[in-house]
Amino acid sequence: MPDTLNRPDYLPDFNNPPLNEVVLGVQFSQPNGYQQILAGKVWDLFREDYPLVQEQMPLQPTFEVFGLPSQGTIINHLNFGVGSLLHSRYWFLNKNGDELIQFQQNRLLHNWRKIGDQANQYPRFESMIQRFEGELNKFQNYVNSLETQELQINQCEISYINHIVGINGITNFSDWLNFISDEKMMLDDFNLRFSEVINNNDNKPIGRLVCETSLGITKESNCMILCTFTVRGAPESNTINSAIEFIKKGRDLIVCRFSELTTEKAHEKWGRLK
Amino acid sequence: MIASNTIQFPSKASKKIEPSPRITLSEKNNVWQEKTIKRLEELIRLEIGWDGYQGIAVSLENVLFTLNMLEKICKWNTEAPQIVPGYSGDLQVEWHTLNGDLELHVEKPNKVNAWFWHVKDDSEGEELQLKNDFSKVAEWVKAITESPVAAESAAA
Repeated sequence: MPDTLNRPDYLPDFNNPPLNEVVLGVQFSQPNGYQQILAGKVWDLFREDYPLVQEQMPLQPTFEVFGLPSQGTIINHLNFGVGSLLHSRYWFLNKNGDELIQFQQNRLLHNWRKIGDQANQYPRFESMIQRFEGELNKFQNYVNSLETQELQINQCEISYINHIVGINGITNFSDWLNFISDEKMMLDDFNLRFSEVINNNDNKPIGRLVCETSLGITKESNCMILCTFTVRGAPESNTINSAIEFIKKGRDLIVCRFSELTTEKAHEKWGRLK
Repeated sequence: MIASNTIQFPSKASKKIEPSPRITLSEKNNVWQEKTIKRLEELIRLEIGWDGYQGIAVSLENVLFTLNMLEKICKWNTEAPQIVPGYSGDLQVEWHTLNGDLELHVEKPNKVNAWFWHVKDDSEGEELQLKNDFSKVAEWVKAITESPVAAESAAA
C-alpha cells in the first residue's frame, strides 16, 4: 500500500503503478582535494547499508541550457575520451540489489529498481528523497573534511522508468497512452521522444521534462511499453536544499504528466486512488 | 544512469534498416563545430603551468557546458568563435567582427559573464551575468556575425 505520509494531496496516486525504476540524482563540480584513490572512502560513508560494489563506465556531464531551438546535438561527436578524464562510476548496492547509490567524482545518484520476480515494493518517493538528502549531507560532510567547501551542485535530475506490461491481450497502444492513436493505422512499432521546457515562477527556463516511450520486451519475452519521464535542470542555487526542492518539483511534474498521458483504462488497471 | 537489466529493443522491429543511398539535402555541416571541438580538445589537455605560472587545463565540465551553450546560440552557418583558456580551468568564447565584439567568460557551469558591444552602439557595451538561458546571447551572435556593417556601408 502507498505510504501517503507527506504526499501532496493534489498528486494523482496509484495502488500499483507500473514503475520499474526511479532515479534521483545530482551533478556537481569535482570537490577540491578529491582524487580517485578516495572513492573507497566515499563507499565507507554508505557501506553499512550498501555493502556490495560494482564498477561501471562514467557518465559525462550534461547540462540543460536554453536559447535557439534545438538543432541536434554535437556532444556525441567529441573525442575527448571522457573515460580518461573521469573515474569509474561505482554502484554501491544494498544486499537485495534493489537500491543502489551511484557515485563518480561529479555525480551522486540513488536508484530503486524492481528485481527478480518483480515483487519488491516501491519504497515511495517520500522515503527515497529523505534518504537521498541524508546521503547528500553525508557526502557534503566528507568533502568538507577534504577542504572547507560546499558541494557545488549544478544539475539535478529525477527519472521514473515505467514498464507497462501485460499488454499482450490489448492490441491497441492507445488503450494505454493518450498521445498515440491507432484508429487509422495499424502500429507495428513506435519509438517516441519529446521534451518540454520547465519555467520557474519568473517565467525563466530552469530545466526540461523529457518523455521517451518505445516498445520493449521483458526478460520473460513479454511485450511491454517502456515509458520514461526525466526532469533535469539547474537548481535555484548550488545547495543541497535547493537540489532537493528541484527534485521534489520534478517529481510532481512527472506524476502529473504520467497521469495526463496515460488513459483512464490504464489507471483502472493500476488501481488509481485519486 | 538507469540500473535496470531490461532488454531495451523493439519487439517487432528486428528488420535491418538499410542506409539510404541518397544524400539528404537538408543535412548541413555546421561551420563552427569542427574548429571549436578541435580547439576544446586542445584546451582540455593543457599541461599544468601552460601559462608559465600555475595554469591548469580547461575543465571537462566547462568544455561540455560551453558546447551546450554554443549549440543554443550558434546557427549552422555561424563562424567559429575564438576560444581562450583561463588559468583556473575556465575559458572565454569570443567573436570580434566588423559589427562588434562579444565575449563570454565561462567561469563554471551556470556562471557566464557576457559582454557585447555593437559598432552602432555609442555606449561601452552591455554586460550580463547568465546562468542557463542564452536567448539574449543568440541575438547578439546574430547581430555581429550576420549582415556586416561594412557590406551595408558599401551598398549605401
